[in-house]
Amino acid sequence: MKRLDRQQLIILISGLSLGLLGVLLVVWGNPQNSGICVSCFLENTAGALGLHNNPRMQYLRPELIGFVLGAAMMALIGREFKSRGGSAPLPRLLAGIFLIVGCAVFIGCPIKMFLRFVAGDLTTLTGIAGLVLGVWLGIKGLAAGVNFGGSQRQTGGAGFWVPLGFVLLLTFLLWPPGFLLQSTRGSAAQAAPVLISLVVGLVLGGLAQRSRFCVTGAIRDGLLMGWRTPLLWGLAAFLTSGFATSVLTGQFHPGFYGQPGAHLDLIWSFLGMLLVGIISVVIGGCPFRQLIKSGEGDADAGLVVIGMFVGAGLVQAWQIAGTTAGVGLNGKVAVMAGLVFILANMLLYRERTA
Amino acid sequence: MIRRDRFDLLLFALLLGCVLVLGLLLLKGQAPTGSGARIDKALEQQIAYQARVNFLHNLYQPVEQLRQKGQLAAALLKLDELARKYPQEAHGEILRGEILLKRKAVKQAIDHFVRAVRLNGDYVDQASPLSRYPEIQGLVEAQLPVFRQRAKSNPQSQSLQNTLTGLYYLQSRLAGGCE
Repeated sequence: MKRLDRQQLIILISGLSLGLLGVLLVVWGNPQNSGICVSCFLENTAGALGLHNNPRMQYLRPELIGFVLGAAMMALIGREFKSRGGSAPLPRLLAGIFLIVGCAVFIGCPIKMFLRFVAGDLTTLTGIAGLVLGVWLGIKGLAAGVNFGGSQRQTGGAGFWVPLGFVLLLTFLLWPPGFLLQSTRGSAAQAAPVLISLVVGLVLGGLAQRSRFCVTGAIRDGLLMGWRTPLLWGLAAFLTSGFATSVLTGQFHPGFYGQPGAHLDLIWSFLGMLLVGIISVVIGGCPFRQLIKSGEGDADAGLVVIGMFVGAGLVQAWQIAGTTAGVGLNGKVAVMAGLVFILANMLLYRERTA
Repeated sequence: MIRRDRFDLLLFALLLGCVLVLGLLLLKGQAPTGSGARIDKALEQQIAYQARVNFLHNLYQPVEQLRQKGQLAAALLKLDELARKYPQEAHGEILRGEILLKRKAVKQAIDHFVRAVRLNGDYVDQASPLSRYPEIQGLVEAQLPVFRQRAKSNPQSQSLQNTLTGLYYLQSRLAGGCE
């Protein structure tokens, strides 16, 4: 039997850690089925900074800070930190906004979608189908010449600004300023202890930087190369450890109804994740991966992260986000606008051979 | 080695000056100044919420008093009167649900509980002073099997289907998760 090489091992460890810690964070205090959710964390953090006024969604999530700073530290240690960027900045910023729109309508990023799935939430099945189809469409687009342009090495240290922004958030976490908001009720009031959340974020951020693990990347590679791809094994490890931990901690409740943080507007779950799938492939990674890349000095990903923060504020302020009651008109309009945006950009950014 | 010219030196000096001023501002900002107390938005938000809870308590006190005296019909009439003035207020819906439940009008009670929780999630939030978590949990546990059976035997009844969907909604909210 062929031995695993170092990179494959790191990917497997990343997947296993993501599943294990994603469920354990719920045991330690995070909202049910929401141990790790990049879009929810962004919405919470945007609320804490005053970007929206939903009093139930305001908390500076330490995990988010950990993801970026863990990736930055690991990239600096491994001498992989490189300032790069400069391709299609405004479309990337807008893509970041629409990434969060898709996630918010579904109620969760791709990582949370699979955490919900391994906890028995069967409403996620349409979301998974939407994500896979979105990734497939994105691949078709790339094959047909859709290209936002490659990141170029940049002088001037552009890649430091997003990690520095997260250092600022870390100081806000340690010494909260007067303007920082903190929910006393609702899902943002449910949180694992700060130190544990921060350490988990740093560990997962560091591992994800090393492994390049990404949920949509794993699906993309799986569709392109089948089971040979290591990222798909990473995803399988994530699902296995998440499922095992859910069962062992008594959080596995299979069913379609009464699931936490889930709605039954299945078509909109599908379309929301379809949007996330297409955008993730075109811009090179799911919301989690964008955070990790921004920590490595990728200014293009940094712009996506800024867009995601703007989106996180907007989905709450404009009542775009789906709730347990379903998806409102604003959410449906926003998803369709997002699909129009990404499909139009795929047409506009298509490199055609003569 | 990059050769530094005078402009570099000027920029370094200005940068150092700005960093020093910034540091002083941050240090000085720790102490309250004469221009006004340090803002604490989180505290302000909590005070506003507490004031809202108190306001609701006072507003619906007559309904509570009628309810305690057992005058349920009069309490419902009082709620009608308040609903005309505050049509989107969830607290009235919760009280109406509780009164209807006491009068054994279970289906209508569920519909009002659902409306209340949709308007304000605090009623299924154990940390909120408005919480009705145990009551709603008890209602869902007791009525879900009953309405599942009733909806199964009357598949044509849209009203029963809506109530069942409402119960599933309450079950989902009780389970927690992100909103």
